[in-house]
Amino acid sequence: MGLVSKDELRHLGWISRINLSEEEIETFHHQLDDTIKYIDVLETFDSENLTLDYLEVHFSNLREDKTIEFTRDLIPKSSLAQEGYVKGPKMI
Amino acid sequence: MSNLYDLGALEAHRGINQGDFTAEEYVWSIIERIERIEGKVHAFITLNKENALDDAREIDKKIRTKEDAGSLAGVTVGIKDNISTHGLKTTCASKMLENYVPPYDATVVERLKNHGAIVIGKLNLDEFGMGSTTEYSRYGPTHNPWNLDYVPGGSSGGSGAAVSSRECTVSLGSDTGGSIRCPASFCSVVGLKPTYGSVSRFGLISYANSLEQIGPICRTVEDVVTVMNAISGHDPNDNTCFLSRSNVPYLHIKQERAPSSIAIVKELIDGCDPAVSRTIYSALDKFKEFGWECTEISLKSVNYALPSYYTIAMAEASSNLARFDNIRYGFSFPVEGFEWNTYISNVRSNFGEEVKRRILIGSYVLSSGYYSKYYLKARQLRSLLRQELLSNFAKYDLLVGPTMPVLPFRIGEKIDDPLKMYLMDVDTVLANLAGIPAISIPAGHSNGLPIGLQLMAGPFQEQKLIDAASLLENVINIARSPEI
Repeated sequence: MGLVSKDELRHLGWISRINLSEEEIETFHHQLDDTIKYIDVLETFDSENLTLDYLEVHFSNLREDKTIEFTRDLIPKSSLAQEGYVKGPKMI
Repeated sequence: MSNLYDLGALEAHRGINQGDFTAEEYVWSIIERIERIEGKVHAFITLNKENALDDAREIDKKIRTKEDAGSLAGVTVGIKDNISTHGLKTTCASKMLENYVPPYDATVVERLKNHGAIVIGKLNLDEFGMGSTTEYSRYGPTHNPWNLDYVPGGSSGGSGAAVSSRECTVSLGSDTGGSIRCPASFCSVVGLKPTYGSVSRFGLISYANSLEQIGPICRTVEDVVTVMNAISGHDPNDNTCFLSRSNVPYLHIKQERAPSSIAIVKELIDGCDPAVSRTIYSALDKFKEFGWECTEISLKSVNYALPSYYTIAMAEASSNLARFDNIRYGFSFPVEGFEWNTYISNVRSNFGEEVKRRILIGSYVLSSGYYSKYYLKARQLRSLLRQELLSNFAKYDLLVGPTMPVLPFRIGEKIDDPLKMYLMDVDTVLANLAGIPAISIPAGHSNGLPIGLQLMAGPFQEQKLIDAASLLENVINIARSPEI
């Protein structure tokens, strides 16, 4: 039995916000299963006494985001941009 | 010298500065070369012809008026199309960014321009840097200049092919798991992945932040040195780029080199193509002739490196690419008739197949219940690997192996088997996981196809890589550019 079922794959598509066609489900199902079986070797490694080193901690300690003054010309030239605003899909 | 486009960065810069030819003449020579062979190689996504000629005229004006035109004055540089260029489309070879024009330059681009370099165009890649062949580009594959039916490597395949085919003087690539070194190896040029934190990633469209670095691809080690000295050093816009510019080691080509100690990593050479291993051992013999000490070692954590790498890279990819919703920039896709989530799910189905696979696996390994099984364990293994490598750098100056375990192969040959593609990265991912520098240098050819040798050094020890690569370059004369 595979590690990822087709229903789980559909759910992964939903949480990743990617519509998957039935054809893609069929192809990806086998390909993802092969890859996850391959990385499953990680489970055989005993990491009980292993800690994260300095660099791992350093990567998590980044600067705060800073704001810059907003100007309308920062709005990209998207096909959804109109008169200095961006029109998005409806929320509800 | 027969054509201006044959010149390396230093030769071109010297010729322009001395008045042997103008920057405009040099850029025209490159443009004519591109127009003649680009239809066969397909290295570029966007050409920057008119702006490049304008920039060349500015350089010529500075030289006429005795102003400092910079250490790369007139040198043409191709930029991988996931590195932001002000006013010039940056697509990541994806439909999702097909119309994106950045409002700013990446720090590396700004620094190259400040040194007088001229951006000649944007180069092809696997979509968002995800791949090892440049076949996963929305704009079609790049062809290997050494055999146009073969892949040039990836993901910076356009950067490798353009330099090898002399469509630009030097190029920039990005390297997440080997994406500079793989095309350098497959195209018979030199590619350096710098130490993590030595070159700014500001303006690089992120795929896996903790692994990737921008670096040069050039025809000579000397040109790699020139580009690295221009782009490296602290950038306040990238907090992981922590060394101040004055503390970044200034690289140079030494005339005299003391013998060093080299260790060949058994796990990297076992199982690779026999032609590749023969070439690597033959290159090691050259080092021995110069009195270098060569030892074989075994690294126990190497067997876990590739699964750790793909777990971390795909997890970071799923997070980084979550931002692309096609609303602020993207392709034309009206919002009418959709609610928020269905709109985003529909437009995001326009990612290419490989990008979708990596996002889906990334979401899987970060899911509740699997996070500690895969992602946390992969990070712990990365720490172990780094410690093991650093302890070896206390004993040896350099670790060595093949850059790629296989020779370049035909376009389309492996595209239906993603896992087989991932396994090809086994030799290159170590440097990304450990954050150390690594260089690929041409070491030979087999049946007309290039083979690269990879050298790795401790953090910020790029000079050791340059010393060894420069020695090898001098003693084995490997062609960098084929006739096309």
